[in-house]
Amino acid sequence: MGRPPDASPVAPPPGRLVMTRHALGREALAHADALYNHARRLTGREADAEELVQETYVRALGAAHTFDGAYLKAWLFKIMRNVFVDLYRRGRHAPALSELDVIDGDAAHARASGEPSELARLPPIVAAEIEAALGTLSEEARTIILLDLEGFTETEVADVLACPLGTVKSRLSRARALLRERLKDYAPPPSAVSDDGRRGGA
Amino acid sequence: MACEAVRDRLVAFTAGRLGAGERAEVRRHLEGCAACRRAADAEGELSAALDRLPRVAAPGALRRRLEQLVTAASDESRGAGSAAGMASGEAPGSKEAPGAPAGASSRAADPGRPPAVGTRRWAWIPPLVSAFGSAALVLLVMRTPRPDAPLPESAPDALVSEALNDHLRVISSTHPLEIESGGIHQVKPWFTGRLEFAPRVAFSGDDEFPLLGGSVGYVRDRKAAVMIFKRRLHTVTLLVFPPEGLAWPRAKARSVGRLAVVEEAARGFNVLLWRDGGLAYALVSDVSPRDLELLAARLNPE
Repeated sequence: MGRPPDASPVAPPPGRLVMTRHALGREALAHADALYNHARRLTGREADAEELVQETYVRALGAAHTFDGAYLKAWLFKIMRNVFVDLYRRGRHAPALSELDVIDGDAAHARASGEPSELARLPPIVAAEIEAALGTLSEEARTIILLDLEGFTETEVADVLACPLGTVKSRLSRARALLRERLKDYAPPPSAVSDDGRRGGA
Repeated sequence: MACEAVRDRLVAFTAGRLGAGERAEVRRHLEGCAACRRAADAEGELSAALDRLPRVAAPGALRRRLEQLVTAASDESRGAGSAAGMASGEAPGSKEAPGAPAGASSRAADPGRPPAVGTRRWAWIPPLVSAFGSAALVLLVMRTPRPDAPLPESAPDALVSEALNDHLRVISSTHPLEIESGGIHQVKPWFTGRLEFAPRVAFSGDDEFPLLGGSVGYVRDRKAAVMIFKRRLHTVTLLVFPPEGLAWPRAKARSVGRLAVVEEAARGFNVLLWRDGGLAYALVSDVSPRDLELLAARLNPE
């Protein structure tokens, strides 16, 4: 018999201890809330989020032997990222338009790093508004903001997204600049804001 | 440090994720640069806003399904570990031989899983072999009487739980299929000689319920044809088996097309059972009962 032909080619280096599927599974359960939370914000739909998380666990358990033992949470997020990409690439869900791609860098980045006036204080916002603003971002922008929020370092985010570290840094600031722009939409029009930044027709 | 470089570090800086050296550099720059200070404030403010986002816990039903997946996967690898002659007293698979990844060894060991590990939930179930798995070993396992089989008598809900366990085995396995589908015309003949009955399945899958393939499983003490369909990302397991001697669930049947179907929910999964033409059918999945009824109707066109 031997190894099935379609077994994953990724094997840990010889001599390294391999986490059992059981141990990995038990530890993975501790990250269920974080994964679900992320999945929910990513898909915007609870049913999709559940599907995404469940498939993530199925794949993680199947590939337990390829886990390098380093950082399980990042590994699980990476798998979830792949499941998510697979789903969207297959076109089974309507993907959000990638607005981060629309940013050709300059406009938004100029805003991000730009003039003091562009960095005016955000209006008072409630969680629902932040959630809504996040929801208007492209999946790519949302993902990178959420991964950062999840506490991953830039290096870990780069690993999860399989992109270079430099890309993470620039994408993160662009995505956040975009989010800040969207949040300003919740502000009253400039004419209604007095010079000292307070609302109202004073 | 120039403004541009500082701006790229501000998110990490305000989140307190910079190393001591870089942090000091950024701080020094901010002391002398009002524009960057405002930018840092803006990042901090945005981070504070994002921190106000509520965190949502995984729903209970999802969590239960995940726990079942983990348990099922653990049982599977433990059984394989014993079969592979792992040292007793130690969690099987915890120390694999160099170069032998746990997954590969557990899968490779599946076909030889001996009845000695039959006290475990699925140890007696015929192994999950890839398409060219060892048929001889499969037969060996099949002919060995189940050591923990006290029946054919069974509690009415045993059938539901049995079907559910078969389904969990399918979804937790990396290689649930013994025959991959090129359509029902390949899958159905494959069962010939592997079962004592001919499963009557007229539906060959469609876009909504693609047929992935099949394998041989067990329901209690008898062999069952296992066919695996997909519904979006969800796996739907169809079991076909002879119903003689099995207690049928007492739940009230409802009609789906010409069938009288019993619907049960267990551990977050839905199970649909019906009998037709001398055979019993069970559909198991975490999709809605409505979806299962749709598939049942396609399996049994009027």
